[in-house]
Amino acid sequence: MEKRLKIRQIQDKLFTVIVALFSIAIILPLFFIIFYIVRNGAAEINWHFITSLPKPVGETGGISNAIVGTTELIGIAALIAIPLALFTGIYMKEFEKSKLAAVVSSLTDLLQGVPSIVIGIVCYLWIVLPLRSFSALSGSVALAIMMLPMIIKSTYHSLKLVPDSLKEASLALGTPYYRTVMKVIVPAASSGIITGIILSISRVAGETAPLLFTAFGNPFMNLNVTKPVNSLPLLIFNYATSPFSDWQKQAWGASLILIIMVSALNLLSKIMEHKWKTTY
Amino acid sequence: MKFKMILAAFLMIISVKGYANDIGFVGAGSTFAYPLYSKMFDVYHDMTGIKVNYQAVGSGAGQRQIIARAIDFGGSDAFMSDAQMSKAPAKLLHIPTALGAVVMTYNINVKGKLRLTPAIIAGIYLGKIKKWNDMRIKSINPHLNLPAENIVVVHRSDGSGTTFIFTDYLSKISKDWKKNIGRDTSVAWPVGIGGKGNAGVAGLIKQIPGAFGYVELIYASSNNMPMGYLRNSYGNFVYPSLASVTVAANIKIPADTRVSLTDTASPNGYPIAGMTWLLVYQEQHYLGRSRAKAKAFVKLIWWMTHAGQKYTKPLEYSPLPKNVVKSVDNILQSMTYDGKPIIR
Repeated sequence: MEKRLKIRQIQDKLFTVIVALFSIAIILPLFFIIFYIVRNGAAEINWHFITSLPKPVGETGGISNAIVGTTELIGIAALIAIPLALFTGIYMKEFEKSKLAAVVSSLTDLLQGVPSIVIGIVCYLWIVLPLRSFSALSGSVALAIMMLPMIIKSTYHSLKLVPDSLKEASLALGTPYYRTVMKVIVPAASSGIITGIILSISRVAGETAPLLFTAFGNPFMNLNVTKPVNSLPLLIFNYATSPFSDWQKQAWGASLILIIMVSALNLLSKIMEHKWKTTY
Repeated sequence: MKFKMILAAFLMIISVKGYANDIGFVGAGSTFAYPLYSKMFDVYHDMTGIKVNYQAVGSGAGQRQIIARAIDFGGSDAFMSDAQMSKAPAKLLHIPTALGAVVMTYNINVKGKLRLTPAIIAGIYLGKIKKWNDMRIKSINPHLNLPAENIVVVHRSDGSGTTFIFTDYLSKISKDWKKNIGRDTSVAWPVGIGGKGNAGVAGLIKQIPGAFGYVELIYASSNNMPMGYLRNSYGNFVYPSLASVTVAANIKIPADTRVSLTDTASPNGYPIAGMTWLLVYQEQHYLGRSRAKAKAFVKLIWWMTHAGQKYTKPLEYSPLPKNVVKSVDNILQSMTYDGKPIIR
């Protein structure tokens, strides 16, 4: 009897150790990636690098237009995606039993599986060809399409966590249905929704493929949404594959800036989640 | 309310900032020409204030985008065939801007430079020569102590102008190659492993002992990779250099400059050389372009092919030889706005 118990305890310990080992094994690659990028990129980053425009080989340029471009692309993408996705998410939760909601739900899953390059090509056909110009707008639409399923899903799941009693209480007080949704249910789920939005933004911030034939790239600073615009992932791709070591070094620097931007967003979402989280 | 005001302010900023300078050009294509063009356009912007945005999306994509008229000019290391040009809505012109070379580079531990003949290169790429100490290589290189290693053939996995120039060369020197594989921006390689882009191929060759492959001159020289001497059609062994590439174009150039420079008849010319072209429409009055824009466009190209040529050598491109510049002058004079020449 004693012996069996001992074996069981050992088995238990072994299992815990294995699970812990695997968890560490998963963190390791991430750790190495960040370590490598910091080691190669940190030396490149200075005020000049962040605030000046790219220069040809042999002159020290910066990446200011790519930082501004990425911010512009993501900003417009968020403006397009958030309202659409928010309302879709609300519909899916509130009319969960309707046929349309079921169809929308499975189509959202399908959209999530579409490769990003395909979304880029579609936006090229929809926007670039009719306007005869590559543009920031077309890139933003591509990124917005990628953001949609992520925000819809997170909105839906956050709304599901809001107890029905809250909704019933509001309706019982004579509040119209639309006000109940917008002023009671959505605010109650806001921490989850905002976390979803921020995570979707940091996911698309590093995308290159959908931008190749939409946002296109630009060596100059551009804020006009109907003209091509530079972005960090595109700049990293071009510089990293060039034959010049100073461009390759700048690609490391730009990678570090991108990682910092994305990590800052992730951190922000964690803070918001903690601060605004409501439990019932 | 606050949000609306911020949005209005944002829109005002972009409309003021964005339309301040209205003459600008957009181009796309050749990755090979990208460093040169980015230098030229940076200098040109400082000189004239005209913004030229060139993106390296590859020669094939450059051709497709100019046909779709999504850009003002394309860049390509491969000239377009008549069939390809007929897909465009109007007549396209080819304007050479610089010359480049494709070099054979390798990863074997020998003292001295490898010498290569057309038969050796074709033999290796057809999979008929498999070992570095094969008699066919040894007999040309008695000065080298060649190892008994396998030859690992490396080629491009993506469509590229570099591949076009290289397979164009192979098609000229080997009947077997011409019949079975042919020339294109990507082909069905009989042997070898693929790398993405020049950088990818250079990386593979540096990592794999016994590797053999082709990259553009600048990628081999900036990575300190060994380059082979090549025997040209004249029988001379020529080392790839800016000078031997320019000399390769010292042949009769057709009026539209659509000519392959590989296997050149020029005695001291390097045999795997090629031009990189701008692709533009002959008639510049399309999609509502102004006469001023058309004029600025021709001026830009004139500058690139004349004064701008001084930026080629520092970036390891070969400048256009005199006979080619002459053809360029004629082509630029043939560009029109409403059917009338833009410059004389």
